[in-house]
Amino acid sequence: MNAEATRPWLHGLLELCLLGLLGAQRDYGLSLSGRLADAGLGDVPGGTLYPALLRLETTGLVRSQREPSTSGPPRKYFELTEDGRDALEGLRAEWRTFSRSINTVLGAEARR
Amino acid sequence: MSDWSANFRHALTERGLDPARIDQLDCDALEQAADHGLAPEQVFGPATVYADRVARALRCPAAAPLPAQGEPGCALRLTGVSKRYGRRQVLRDVSLEVREGELVAVVGANGCGKSTLLQICAGTIRPSSGTVERVAHVGYVPQTGGTAELLTPVEHFQLFAAARSDSRGRGVAIGTQLATSLGWRPPASQPAGQLSGGTRQKLNVVLGELSRPDLLLLDEPYQGFDYGAYVDLWAQIDRWRETGAAVLIVTHMLGELHRVDRVVELDAPKDC
Repeated sequence: MNAEATRPWLHGLLELCLLGLLGAQRDYGLSLSGRLADAGLGDVPGGTLYPALLRLETTGLVRSQREPSTSGPPRKYFELTEDGRDALEGLRAEWRTFSRSINTVLGAEARR
Repeated sequence: MSDWSANFRHALTERGLDPARIDQLDCDALEQAADHGLAPEQVFGPATVYADRVARALRCPAAAPLPAQGEPGCALRLTGVSKRYGRRQVLRDVSLEVREGELVAVVGANGCGKSTLLQICAGTIRPSSGTVERVAHVGYVPQTGGTAELLTPVEHFQLFAAARSDSRGRGVAIGTQLATSLGWRPPASQPAGQLSGGTRQKLNVVLGELSRPDLLLLDEPYQGFDYGAYVDLWAQIDRWRETGAAVLIVTHMLGELHRVDRVVELDAPKDC
């Protein structure tokens, strides 16, 4: 799927994706946007990515820390809090159920 | 300082953020843009738009909703309420109930009596027949009016606090905090009469909530709001509900009805 096609889907799911990526490893903005692109989710604009990270921080699911970088200015690293890990676990289960239902409705499961 | 940075800082200031937080957000943005190897404009888009998103991201409720405790009580109950002005029947036999922690919307054609219904709930007019039962502590945000032209926002906060025998200082502190959550910083010396329509309506919303009422009556409360404030208001309504307040809102924003617990539809006027 190209970036144009993924954008409306990703709209409500970006925070879930970020929780997933941060669940795998702590990371900074530029690298997160690279990992989203590598996963086939297209280029997420900074104007969308960074406010989503701030929102996760405000709701206490993520915390951040500035660290010096060898290659340039200091970087803000994000990582999951305990609440963030709990939220990820719950949302992952919800997503599995939901996506299974959608697949059933679309007939994807039957054809496979 | 680049223009982007100056615009970003200005927009955050307008949205009521404190200077230390603004320094930090500006510094973050510039460093993140440098990390991308691009100008801030290219990474984040226009500074004002980005500032609005950032300010909204920072206003997410941090606290989890209170756990529900038993069956919620009834905050408002209308039974067979009718209202006529002379021969004109405005409301006919309306019954509705709003429980604590519930958001109920009133919809219907123009002129079907939505505002009249809310005034009856607020107790500013009497129904021709039927009964109104409600909790004592009510906040009412009328569609227009509700503010005094010559008083500043801060004087409004003091007046409304005094009316509930609350300390004036506390009224001002809470009022200012509520204004910030709508992305508004009340001006120190401007009387309400000189505020724009949208800003005066924000003052109205703050006054409605100022005393933490158990029941909030909102009559199209977002007239003249910019989009950011409109989104903030719905977020704020969610928070009121989560803390157990009952909310009755007159709205024609049908796109927001997925947020409400129930919709009450009033019949279209018959004789016009």
